[in-house]
Amino acid sequence: MKDEPEQDLELTSPLVPLFVITNGRALPPDHAYERTTLVSAHEGASAAARTISPEARQVLDLVMDGFLSVAEVAAHTHLPLGIVRILLAELEESGLVIARKPVPRAERVDRELLNAVLDGLKARFGA
Amino acid sequence: MNQDALVWCLVAAVAVAVAAALVLNRRNKAIAAKKAQVEATLTQKLSETEGQLAGLWGELQQHKTQHAETIQEAEEAAEESTKAVLKGSARFLQSLAAEQLALLEEIQRKYGGHAVLGDLLEVNHANAQMARKAQGIAVMCGAPLGRRNKAASVYDVVRSAQGQIRNFRRVEIMQQTGFALKASAVSPVALAVAELLDNAASFSQQGSPIEVTFQRVQKNLCIVIDDAGVGMNDEDRQKASALLSGDHRPRLSQLGNQPKFGFPVIGLLAQQYGFRVDVTGISRYGGVRAVVLLPEELWTEEEITPAETPQLSTIHSAPARPESVARTAHGLPRRGARQVPIASVPDHDDTAAPPAAASEETGRAAGRSLGAFQRGTLSGRNLASAPFEGSDDT
Repeated sequence: MKDEPEQDLELTSPLVPLFVITNGRALPPDHAYERTTLVSAHEGASAAARTISPEARQVLDLVMDGFLSVAEVAAHTHLPLGIVRILLAELEESGLVIARKPVPRAERVDRELLNAVLDGLKARFGA
Repeated sequence: MNQDALVWCLVAAVAVAVAAALVLNRRNKAIAAKKAQVEATLTQKLSETEGQLAGLWGELQQHKTQHAETIQEAEEAAEESTKAVLKGSARFLQSLAAEQLALLEEIQRKYGGHAVLGDLLEVNHANAQMARKAQGIAVMCGAPLGRRNKAASVYDVVRSAQGQIRNFRRVEIMQQTGFALKASAVSPVALAVAELLDNAASFSQQGSPIEVTFQRVQKNLCIVIDDAGVGMNDEDRQKASALLSGDHRPRLSQLGNQPKFGFPVIGLLAQQYGFRVDVTGISRYGGVRAVVLLPEELWTEEEITPAETPQLSTIHSAPARPESVARTAHGLPRRGARQVPIASVPDHDDTAAPPAAASEETGRAAGRSLGAFQRGTLSGRNLASAPFEGSDDT
């Protein structure tokens, strides 16, 4: 080993890792808590939530007065979207928030199929 | 006549007997003299030999002590060289693990919206455990600990320790406190608590809780760790106390094949940074109660807001966000065409009070970017095969 003067190692990673913030919970399924899903706190949630982590508390405080989208919650808390989704899943499980799913998109029709039908019709009846 | 003859015979016999006795006597004397002479020489020889023996014995002892000294010296030299080798490797591992943790954090933020985040979190967990081991070896070899340059709440320090053990979900931190550890104490206390938590987790049943509570006792702040394990017997307790006080420092070579450096590491850290650790208590579940006693030099009573989550107040107090515009009568954020956007995400480096016009401009920019973001999401969904969509940093 070289005998160089010992340099201090500085730890730059955040003190509390993200997996501790989520307490090791898995990501909720993809369709739950999409970016545009609106979430709001249940009435009386603030008083009921005594033992939640500071980050979950922060999320809860954000949605206390009304609906906010998941993407916005993530932006305000500066937490990665996935982490916010896990926290929201945890909060909803303990009945502290409610989520309103975005309006499902109208089913899209396959354009190629329509073209094929149109071509068929044209061939059959002429146009 | 007959009588005379008998007398003469008797006289002759007596004379012969006397003569024989005289001869025997003289012989006896000679033998005795010889015996004494031989005895004297033998004693002399014996004492000489005894003297030699004593000399040899002394020499032997001298050799023995020299031998022991040499062995000890050799052992110490071996210990030192082992330490030096290990120290270098440990420092390498330590810095690599730290680098990797920082990298992983960055990647987790980068792919925060992607399903890969779940796996990244697990990789991070494995890496945090490796970092702890590397730090432990480094401490055993006398290398310095990686330091943190920011004070942190004691709650976060314990959460940091929590992340460094395998079964971290079992750890329940019971209350949040207004106590903060000074920057210099953050790393050592986190490592010591992590080792205690690891111990608590390994010596108790799977699934049983490990409770962490905080108590202020006079001028000391206590981190109390209760497990539901089997507890320790008196001998174990004594050994543990000796190790934890830092008085007894086992050699690396004494740690064995499945080295347990938990307690020796804690002992070294405690001595180096001036806190105390006690494991002689009994927890309320009948297991071990470990107490980390932090003297007042190591902590303050200030509130520390976590560094990675900027204060909400800067968002709410942004001057260009009048509540009446931002929300409808039902408290819903209003969407659609508007003068002032409702979601103005402040920049990290936003100073306390930006000028109103500028912040309105940044607000608009944020609104535009959110719009673009939404359009991007929609167009992304319109594609038949959804492209990689997790790269936006939210």
